[in-house]
Amino acid sequence: MYNRIILDGGMGTMLQAAGLGLGERPELFGINHPEIVEKIQRSYVEAGSQVIYANTFGANVHKLAGTGYTVEEVIAANIAIAKKAADGKAKVALDVGPIGELLEPLGMLSFEKAYEIYAQIVKAGAAGGADLVIFETMTDLYEVKAAVLAAKENSDLPVWATMSFEASGRTFTGTTVAAMALTLTGLGVDALGINCSLGPKELAPLVGELRQWTDLPLIVKPNAGLPDPATGAYSMGAAEFGQCMAGYPELGASIFGGCCGTTPEFIRALADSLREAEMSGTKELRRGVCSASQTAEFGKIPGHGRILVIGERINPTGKKRFAQALREGDMNYIMERAVEQAEAGADILDINVGLPGVNEPEMMTRVVKAVQSVVSLPLQIDSSDPAAIEAGLRAVDGRAIVNSVNGEPEVLAKILPIVKKYGAAVVGLTMDKGGIPQNAETRVAIAERILQAAKDHGIPREDVLIDTLTLTISAQQEQAAETLKAVRHVYEEMGLHCVLGVSNISFGLPERIHATVNFLIQAMHCGLDFPIVNPNQKEMMDAVVSYRALSGEDKDCAAYIERFAKNASDDAAAVSSKNMTHTSTSGMAMETAVLKGLKQEVANLTEQYLETMSELDVINLKLIPALDVVGEKYEKQQIFLPQLINAANAACAGFDLIKTRIAGRGEENLSKGKILLATVEGDIHDIGKNIVRVVLENYGYQVIDLGRDVPVERVVESAKRENVPLVGLSALMTTTVNSMRKTIEALRRSGHPCKIFVGGAVLTERYAMEIGADFYAKDAKASADIAKEVLG
Amino acid sequence: MQARLTGFNENEILLYLGYRGQEYPAEVEEQIKRCEKEVLAAASPRLIWRKLSTDGVDFAALSLEGKDIRELLKGCTEAVLMAVTLGQGIDRLLTRKSVSNMADAVIMDACASAAIENVADNFEFDLREETEASGRYLTNRFSPGYGDLPLSAQKKLCAALDTERKIGLSLSPALLMIPGKSVTAILGISGTTKPLRKRGCISCSLFRDCMYRREGKSCKIYGSPPDPI
Repeated sequence: MYNRIILDGGMGTMLQAAGLGLGERPELFGINHPEIVEKIQRSYVEAGSQVIYANTFGANVHKLAGTGYTVEEVIAANIAIAKKAADGKAKVALDVGPIGELLEPLGMLSFEKAYEIYAQIVKAGAAGGADLVIFETMTDLYEVKAAVLAAKENSDLPVWATMSFEASGRTFTGTTVAAMALTLTGLGVDALGINCSLGPKELAPLVGELRQWTDLPLIVKPNAGLPDPATGAYSMGAAEFGQCMAGYPELGASIFGGCCGTTPEFIRALADSLREAEMSGTKELRRGVCSASQTAEFGKIPGHGRILVIGERINPTGKKRFAQALREGDMNYIMERAVEQAEAGADILDINVGLPGVNEPEMMTRVVKAVQSVVSLPLQIDSSDPAAIEAGLRAVDGRAIVNSVNGEPEVLAKILPIVKKYGAAVVGLTMDKGGIPQNAETRVAIAERILQAAKDHGIPREDVLIDTLTLTISAQQEQAAETLKAVRHVYEEMGLHCVLGVSNISFGLPERIHATVNFLIQAMHCGLDFPIVNPNQKEMMDAVVSYRALSGEDKDCAAYIERFAKNASDDAAAVSSKNMTHTSTSGMAMETAVLKGLKQEVANLTEQYLETMSELDVINLKLIPALDVVGEKYEKQQIFLPQLINAANAACAGFDLIKTRIAGRGEENLSKGKILLATVEGDIHDIGKNIVRVVLENYGYQVIDLGRDVPVERVVESAKRENVPLVGLSALMTTTVNSMRKTIEALRRSGHPCKIFVGGAVLTERYAMEIGADFYAKDAKASADIAKEVLG
Repeated sequence: MQARLTGFNENEILLYLGYRGQEYPAEVEEQIKRCEKEVLAAASPRLIWRKLSTDGVDFAALSLEGKDIRELLKGCTEAVLMAVTLGQGIDRLLTRKSVSNMADAVIMDACASAAIENVADNFEFDLREETEASGRYLTNRFSPGYGDLPLSAQKKLCAALDTERKIGLSLSPALLMIPGKSVTAILGISGTTKPLRKRGCISCSLFRDCMYRREGKSCKIYGSPPDPI
């Protein structure tokens, strides 16, 4: 006999049968008809439920808004009903569902606000005497993370969590079973699993998958089969449900119940059929780090290590253009670096925002959120500041790596508890107060120390990654061999994963790539499985892809063939296009290159012009006139929108070149003036605003893009702080045009002297004037004309 | 009935992209084809619908406002509530592309708009076939925000269909649908045939500032379909 727990079945279906109207709040129905809810819950206890869920699923401040009830009242009343029904024979769970408003980045609810909403619920539940907290029917891992943190930081109750998946193994928001398991196990929930979604037959493969990624007790609470789309009625009877559930102990589940369409009869059948079952034990776990939708699975040691490439480009160290972007809060530039590395084949992205004068914890939160809004790679939080590390780990949607700790006891004592709390993996640098040891043996000794400390903090050895440190051969040539020797020992003898910042090896040398690639290959051969590299360097990724083919990780060399078969044809194309470009570039005017949207040609031409012209002249005499021609053609309807933006994109290649050159000299950026852009509060359609941004940037203006759903105060405050003479506001919906009016009023009231232009699908010239704007921009081209008029 | 995304109406994509008979270079056509493929790969179309008797309490509880919806459902014994979405994968794709390639982002946005119309059209087609097979008739679909049916009806529709739980469709406080490429609508079923309406723009509350009209065109609901290119 195993330690199984029987939960309850459906509540919504039972309440509807008892008179709950369509769209009526079940929690309020409970307050008005406590006897009905109690009767249902008592029948579950009589059927064998050992834990019943209080009728508190939607009792949150968002869903109760306007009902006249507080969260505390509703939760206290409904828990009291459940406790009465349980009558000491069953435990009562505070049942918590999704807030009902989508979190950032796609929705508008911030992670921090979601945390507060859940904290209020949990506190009310604990005060009401709940025995445990269950978060269920969740589809967004980020929301569950906020919920679990809120529960653990605001109560001592056991925390369970179940999410709802489609047959594809993903939730509606894209969360995978593996990501749920890794993230929630890391956060220290007491049990986790799957509820709702599908029937017991369909859930089996998902529960099997879940078992591979966690050793926690697993919860299964399926629907009564699949619903009839027209009527919503469920297909399965109680007996069949019970039979289907009998297979779950073998899959490793131990906590069972029913969701939509199930009744006390189902729970009785379930309890009967599970009486004799044998539960299978946990096998060796799969491990890794993840975002909500993508997992980087760690390789098994020993073996041919699975290589996971960590992209190093989100880091201001030695990168003036990046440092400038951080100082200006230019998230767009940083997001571009993230997308670029993802497309180049990185498996994990390192995030480092340490820069004098920048508030590191705040910036870490902001950059983590920005990066995960555009890529789905797992992240590595790179800092030595405990506050920045915690800020990063909190903001991550998934399970991250911390880079790094070292062998210094003080550092270990400060950072390992944070690593443990968020369930992260951690990189240990083999150095301490005494600096970097000159020989492999001493580095290994430090690695042992770090491993021991991690274990003492409850961090499993599989999550400890050791960095034996790359030194520059142009300064300390003999150290390359020591680093490799240490890698081999850590990997083969200690059985730990190895990290190295590879690029450092060739610092100060010409044609660095040759030494760097060679070192990378040697290090992977010794056991390096987490190389930190610049994935945009083709040669580095070529080496990784080749290594994976040789080690057998790349089954049937499929990835190798895909990469290089494609390259071969690309190379041929590149050669011919290069030849063409050579002849055509010399003859091609900037105007043609921009008009045709040819990025490479625009970059080539810009470089040519820069040999004899100043940056400002190239912008004013070449790039802008070319854009003017494009704009004119657009206005005359000779070209249409995609061509206008293709042209802007191409011109961007020229501007980027110029910006990098200027930043490299440490000078202020050339700018024809600042423009602030925002999609107004309440609105999240920002494609129009983004088009305007691209076009304005390419006319040489410095655009401060505040993003979408921007609160009125933030527009005013930013406009004043940055002393912006021109503000552009966008709103797509009739429902949000009013917040455009409010933003304009607030800007005027603030006394900040600026011109305001507005645009968006529902606006007209007349309406724009009516709400107090100075200009109406009917399209991106018009906004460039307005900028010219105001800023020159 | 399954959510079906069966193709892209390219005229529709071009309309969204502001195409009005300009030159249409081959490379742009190719770019649009490539964008269609990416949108198709990122889309996971989902559908939820239910039939309500028009004289039942559940339908009454919706208390839909306006003369347009009354007119739509005149003589109908049943109302069908529907919601379709392409899923969040599309929103993510569009966000990512507006960082890495704005032109692609704009084209994909247009493709995705055409795609969700296709999913909604397919459902309407399937339901019409089924309805007519049983000797009854289906009206056009009508969405919150059209005519005088207020956008706030969106909230009631989503609650009645439990869209958040069933297809992952939720509403922002300003009643924007997330995922963005989603459609909710109401249709009626009656025993007698009703003409499928193409009403003039004049009876639409968006008359003054409709973006199609500004371009000298009209939408599919009120006016004649957009000019074939």
